[in-house]
Amino acid sequence: MSLYLLCVLFSYYILKPVSQSLFLNKFSAERLPYLYIFIAGAGGVLAYSYTKLAIRTSLKTAVTATTFIVILCLFGFWLLLEPVDVPPTWPWAYYAFNIWVSLFSIVLVSQGWLVAANVFNAREAKRLYGILGFGAVLGAAFGGSFTALAVAWMGTKNLLLASAAVVALAYLCFRLTLLQKGVSLTGVRAAEDETSEFSIHDIVGAVTRYRHLQVIIAIITITYVVDVMVEYQFSAVAKQRFTGDELTAFLGSFRGLYVNLATIVLQLFVTSAVVNRFGVGGTLQIMPASLAIASLGTVISPGLFALGAARLAEAAGRYSFNRTGMELLYLPLPAELKNRTKAFVDIFVDRAARGLGGALLILLTGVLDLTIRQIAVVVIGLTGIWILLVQRARHEYVLTVRKRLEARRLDLESARITVNDPVTIQLLEQTAKSAIPRQAIYALTLLAESPGYPMEKQYLEHIQHSSPEVRGKVFELARTTRFEGLLPQAMEELNRASDGENLPALKPAVAYALTFSPKRSELAQQLLDHPCDLAAQGALETIATDPSLAPDLISQEWIVAAAESPFPERRILSAIALRVRTDEKPQQLIRLLLDSNPRVIRAACITAGILRRREHVDLLVGHLADPRLRGAAIEALSNYKSRIIGTLEDVLTDNNAPFAVRRQIPRVLQAIPDQRSVDVLLRGIALPDLTLRATILRALNRMRESYPDLSYSDDSITAQILNEARHYFELNAALAPFKEHRSPKSVARLLSITLEERLERTIERLFALLGLRYPPKEIDAAWRAVNAGREEELATAIEFLDNVLDRELKKFLLPLFDASEHLLFRGEELFGVERKDAEGALRELLASGDEWLVVCAIATAAELNLRNLKKDIEALSSGAGVEVARVARQAMLQLA
Amino acid sequence: MSELNIIEKVIALEGVELFRALSPDQLSRIASIAKEVRLVPGRVIFEPGNALDSLYVILDGSVELIRSGEVLHVAGQNEVLGAWALFDEEPMPFTARTVEDTRLLSIGRNDFFDLLSDNMEITASIFATMVRRFRQLVEG
Repeated sequence: MSLYLLCVLFSYYILKPVSQSLFLNKFSAERLPYLYIFIAGAGGVLAYSYTKLAIRTSLKTAVTATTFIVILCLFGFWLLLEPVDVPPTWPWAYYAFNIWVSLFSIVLVSQGWLVAANVFNAREAKRLYGILGFGAVLGAAFGGSFTALAVAWMGTKNLLLASAAVVALAYLCFRLTLLQKGVSLTGVRAAEDETSEFSIHDIVGAVTRYRHLQVIIAIITITYVVDVMVEYQFSAVAKQRFTGDELTAFLGSFRGLYVNLATIVLQLFVTSAVVNRFGVGGTLQIMPASLAIASLGTVISPGLFALGAARLAEAAGRYSFNRTGMELLYLPLPAELKNRTKAFVDIFVDRAARGLGGALLILLTGVLDLTIRQIAVVVIGLTGIWILLVQRARHEYVLTVRKRLEARRLDLESARITVNDPVTIQLLEQTAKSAIPRQAIYALTLLAESPGYPMEKQYLEHIQHSSPEVRGKVFELARTTRFEGLLPQAMEELNRASDGENLPALKPAVAYALTFSPKRSELAQQLLDHPCDLAAQGALETIATDPSLAPDLISQEWIVAAAESPFPERRILSAIALRVRTDEKPQQLIRLLLDSNPRVIRAACITAGILRRREHVDLLVGHLADPRLRGAAIEALSNYKSRIIGTLEDVLTDNNAPFAVRRQIPRVLQAIPDQRSVDVLLRGIALPDLTLRATILRALNRMRESYPDLSYSDDSITAQILNEARHYFELNAALAPFKEHRSPKSVARLLSITLEERLERTIERLFALLGLRYPPKEIDAAWRAVNAGREEELATAIEFLDNVLDRELKKFLLPLFDASEHLLFRGEELFGVERKDAEGALRELLASGDEWLVVCAIATAAELNLRNLKKDIEALSSGAGVEVARVARQAMLQLA
Repeated sequence: MSELNIIEKVIALEGVELFRALSPDQLSRIASIAKEVRLVPGRVIFEPGNALDSLYVILDGSVELIRSGEVLHVAGQNEVLGAWALFDEEPMPFTARTVEDTRLLSIGRNDFFDLLSDNMEITASIFATMVRRFRQLVEG
């Protein structure tokens, strides 16, 4: 993976100096501002279009397609562009090439990082971020050095072919990465929805609301404006000093080697220390301050040395101090807003600012005719504003972090950097002192996550906290971080415990004491007989994690005695003890699974899930019917994993099994991420009971969302989609004769409302089925649009379906959204569903098997005095369900 | 008078504000746990000090609501007593007593919660109604 990123950056750092050198060799430096504006405008539009296209494409396909397109383009440019010393035949080609190179960095480099993000999980990514980043910086350095060396014998233009070769090599590394064990990019999109989907309206609203966001955007804008101005000055002076291939070599060395080496040195050895020492505000001030000093140097002596220093300070500072500081600035924003803002900044603010920089340069050089030295004065002025903005940002940062801490909504986990700046740490320490236990716990947890933070002081201080919740958390954290200094406090907590009280600190104290006590065995023995059941429970749970202690402490006699206790709490202890003594006979647990107390059964269910013995499966399945035990039973059954999928299918399809149990089976299967679970559920999508069908579809959709690597493609889905479409037209035909019945107490009205509701449910199932074949998020959005009932949203949803569905399905599904007056005709045309009068419709409903619809149909027949239906109703007056039979008998009397 | 069938119970339950967002099919599931109760005049349905554990819909007859000896209201056909008591175990602040022969539909709290735990869509609809009601109260 690191090699892949190295190759991508290598090829980019060949193209970057080559594109700039070709441009500067062909045109005067005064044309540069126009190029910046073109890159900002055209590059922005192309980048945005790529992102929109990428959302619909898988990452794997996108990388493959991009690689081949890039290689083709490079060959195309190689044919089109002339060597450096030949005047340009097609000047536009040089602009196009530069715009194309800016797009290269956005597409290939961001793809590289996206592949990395999907190859590693969040934690691994955090750990390996440095190594991957190192590969990228090394690639950039090698690319630049290679350019500087190779240009002498290859010439600037031919470096395009070298870059194409490295792109091909990068692709080879990508394929090799995919072959690694455990790596899969199935279902991964080439652009992430959350980072690419935002509306300008939302962002404008957020910017108006959050002053913090206003400052962030202002800093980013000024950063890029200054970037463009320094780049211009540097390029102009470089052009004066070098020409031809020498310019390419200089730009290659400077950008690839010096800037990247400076970046890596700053990032690896300096940034962290600066953040620790100066915090977010100080870190963000380094770049404008160093730029101001370098620009002062330019004012004094506007040569390549001073401008090289300014460019180095700007570029290296931007990728080290500024990037880390900006990550910290984003930190207190809500995660969703953070992602949307970053996408907005990447796509619009970045380019708009560069375009603004270009326009400012046209004003300064073209209109005001300023020299390089005078532009440096303007840069110094801009860095002054920049420093003021950073001070404002620091103030807003502190305010926002404080607010988010109070609301316990500071999300450090999603931050890609380590949070250890002094301001944040200080705020966390203050919050840890809060009188509100939840806030204190939250801050302590975040402090414990901060690498290198000395927690000992916090432990010793907060172990005296009046809230047992806080004390409990302190024991928990101290145990995790192996801090042994709280043993006396833990023992004191145990001594204070008395039976029947709810003591949140007790269990963590027990776990702590049993982890660090020098006499663990004796203490465990005492705790098992502790008068407070919670202490015994905590001891058992801790012992369960240490098999070396268990056999000596928990004897068979102890378990039996506890199981026979008249007190439920003791029986719960017996159930927990069985998790430790796995050699016990299954009957012991069966007895507890049949206990009269639901709490005991719940504990027994958890134990059954840990032991995973066949003998307990039937009882666990039976408990699915009881709402009080359902959660524990589902969790226990899912622990058996694929071993019981066959049994679960038997229950799901068994018409004699209790319905309350059958309808929970999809939830159990959903919790077992195995292809066989999916297969069982797919076989169930055509079951006659509509409730079961809906539950199965819900489970399948959730599985697809959580486990996209499993296969959900099955011919039965298409067949069922068509069945549901047909069912929709049949229901619609049945509804037609009763649509006008709206008088308040009439039964025909109830029937009509029920049929309308059934139509809605059918559409819901249809979309759930579509979600198994097509992109689930988009299908879900389409369903919501249909459900909202607003014409404009419906039209968008239909247009989406029209684009995405297969031709065959489209033919049957799109007519479902036709105006109601056309639906009868469509049903007839597509499925041969005939129009019906009230009698015909009721006759079909009486035979539908849908209990509530049958009841409504019987009562409606009686209400409308449809004597021709007497025979059908009579057949239902015996043998059907109790309510159906009762309503049928009453209807018979009315129709007599 | 014969006992109500499920359709008649559903029509009676349609009048309960708490169930306003439910479909007839969902109401039929509530109807299946609703019991018909017949009371003679003068019977106390609930009184201060005792927690109410059921909701009542008056099918026919009338019930007077009394506080400190004063009749506050006489509830008649289709009116509901203790709709929110299903979610609140606090005793009602007044007494409810039948004025004449009265037929009620009663839904017990425990049966109701069992039903909710098995029918998430009913729970969601009832929550939506409660939130709407709460919003009306807050927004005036």
